[in-house]
Amino acid sequence: MPAELAAFLDIRPWPPDPGVAFWAALALVAGALLGEAVRRGLGLPRIVGYSIVGSALGLVGLGIGDAGLAGTTRLIVDLALALLLFELGIRVNLRWLRANPALLATGIAESLFAGIAVYAALRWIGLDPNVALTCAVLAVCVSGAVVGRVASELEAAGQVTERMIVLTVLNTVAAVLTLKLVIGWLHVDQAGDWARAVAQPLYAFVGSVALAALLARLVAAVARRLELRDENAALLLLGLVVLALVGARVLNLSTLLVPLLAGVLLRNTTARPWVWPRHFGTAGGVLVLMLFVIVGSAWSVQALALGAAAAALLLLARGLAKAAAVLALAHWSGISQRQGLALSLALTPMGGSALVLLTDLQLSHPAFAPQVAPIMLSAIAFSELLGPLAVQWGLRLAGEQHPAAGRGG
Amino acid sequence: MALETFSHSKPLTLGVELELQIVSTHDYDLTPSAADLLRLVGRRSLPGSVVPEISDSMIELSTGICRDHADALAQLGEIRDALVDCADKLNIALCGGGTHPFQDWSRRRIFNKPRFHQLSELYGYLSKQFTIFGQHVHIGCPSADQALWLLHGMSRFIPHLIALSASSPFVQGTDTRFHSARLNSVFAFPLSGRAPFVLTWDDFGVFFDKMTRTGVVASMKDFYWDIRPKPEFGTIELRVLDTPLTIEKAAALAGFAQCLARWLTLERPFQPEEDDYLPYTFNRFQACRFGLDGTFVDPKSGEHRLLRDDIQRTLARLEPHAAALRAEDALALLRAELAGDGNDAGWIRRVYEEERLLPEVVRQQTLRWAGRQQR
Repeated sequence: MPAELAAFLDIRPWPPDPGVAFWAALALVAGALLGEAVRRGLGLPRIVGYSIVGSALGLVGLGIGDAGLAGTTRLIVDLALALLLFELGIRVNLRWLRANPALLATGIAESLFAGIAVYAALRWIGLDPNVALTCAVLAVCVSGAVVGRVASELEAAGQVTERMIVLTVLNTVAAVLTLKLVIGWLHVDQAGDWARAVAQPLYAFVGSVALAALLARLVAAVARRLELRDENAALLLLGLVVLALVGARVLNLSTLLVPLLAGVLLRNTTARPWVWPRHFGTAGGVLVLMLFVIVGSAWSVQALALGAAAAALLLLARGLAKAAAVLALAHWSGISQRQGLALSLALTPMGGSALVLLTDLQLSHPAFAPQVAPIMLSAIAFSELLGPLAVQWGLRLAGEQHPAAGRGG
Repeated sequence: MALETFSHSKPLTLGVELELQIVSTHDYDLTPSAADLLRLVGRRSLPGSVVPEISDSMIELSTGICRDHADALAQLGEIRDALVDCADKLNIALCGGGTHPFQDWSRRRIFNKPRFHQLSELYGYLSKQFTIFGQHVHIGCPSADQALWLLHGMSRFIPHLIALSASSPFVQGTDTRFHSARLNSVFAFPLSGRAPFVLTWDDFGVFFDKMTRTGVVASMKDFYWDIRPKPEFGTIELRVLDTPLTIEKAAALAGFAQCLARWLTLERPFQPEEDDYLPYTFNRFQACRFGLDGTFVDPKSGEHRLLRDDIQRTLARLEPHAAALRAEDALALLRAELAGDGNDAGWIRRVYEEERLLPEVVRQQTLRWAGRQQR
């Protein structure tokens, strides 16, 4: 009877197949509702709510699974990360690193220590050197998405906030470049292909810098003529960033490095302050929510069963190593031990960027990647839930969360 | 609490205090970094001192006792260089200016110290609107009675000091049309304004006892007068100046005040009277609103003239005193401003006119404060 009625009313196909748009919209509604619920009920950052929606999708098997990012999900993650990383890059003042060499030293030490500690820990439980090495490199980077988003939601301002952003940019660049080298090394190790091993990382780096410089020049040109706080100009900027991102994808350049470096170049080649709406307004906000849902869903029960123990060890080694570097250099770099502790906590998140890097690895080494994926996906799943909490805790410990943040908007 | 006895200080010595803005180098809004800056500055030895203020995005620096203009400039330079160096290590910047042009007062946080929280509790939004930045100049006085005489003599020149130092045209993102909008915030406080007209410390003590009996005040700190005696230092304290954009201007204003004090003390060109205060608030308003082009009503003759002209006349009278105090450079700087670009408020407006972006205006203010750009 209903089938006949549907045919009569021209509802085809029957039963209805709402497709991707339906699930995306549902995720959006659920994410927004849950985000607001955790904000009001528990006083937590909204992205915890978005991630919980993602985790739930992963639990019922609707997550992106072990195959990694592909198609539409990859596009959404790339776009959202591009916006967030561009915003992060634009806050990096290279003159600061020159005026405060201890900060640069902190960036190098915390990346290096984290990589070494994770490698040692994973070798200690008997993992293959290449697997341990790859995990170690992926574990170097901090999630710029979580860091940037929580900081802006809490309207945090102060030394811990600023340093968390700069260190995240530094370790993301370090992780991207080192992973390119590791991918090159795997070519040598598995196929003896030296030419690819050298040419690919070189191309990725030089090409990304060139594209980033082009984007920075274009944005600077636009900014000279338009009022950036204007919604329309923000859309134009959004368009430019997306164009650059598509360029990076088409040319097999790093989708992380291009927006990040473009932001850094823009900030350091122009003196005028950069002021525009957060995440380029509403359009960016939707992408960011989807990003956290997708990254939150990047786990599965099978992956967790295989990799949970190693992932927990990885996160522990990584956290301790980063904290050791930050605390050791805290006084020299001009912050208190309490701020050092807060900064260490704020460097906990590991999500979007690591997931994109893992996907790059899955594409270039499909046979090798499955050994790494369960560990990294489990680690990302844990830190996606714990990361925002750690950042918030850190910012509170440092007294940098704005007292009125989050109320009514 | 009884009135303190007035300490003796060497006549015509100087002390300069400057309240400074701490801004982010990202968006150039005020940023809560006073504690970090104080921690780094605390590791160095400097003349004078650097202390917190009510909001955690401001700090106050003060020189030690200075002999003359050159001494004040040297001390300010040493403290400024140290502060700028520490600020660079923290990726923050400092600037002068009586107001931050676009900060949102409701977003300000109170520096974590009991006295500041009490003030915030008492004054409500006024305390956050009090995120304003002034220069105070102390002038040494040999006795309390001479301090009171000098205080009332100096009152005639309050409009001059306001117009010369004015650097607060913007408040909360809009042009107020004032040269010193900062003082409008000060006038909102119940105990602001002028000191009572008494010329002896004994009479001042009687006034003070009456005031404390009402329970309205507990100490001299509770008076927010334009000029107040500071018995602890043995000085009078000029409090109407906006923090200028450069230390050179701050030192010049101190030198100007010192010359005024010497002229008034030695020549006694007029005898202060209660009636001098009849045009006082009118003159003060004119100076705040129109700066150097305000109208000045001569308290003795009732004559109206441009404030700019009365400043010129005053500078001419100060000539020999500037020579005696070696403050010629100070007066030369002020003269050049009168003849040329005018006060800092005018500079801020011109930069805004060109750039149309208040964060960019603040960025250029930070460069001027650091001595990295002369425009």
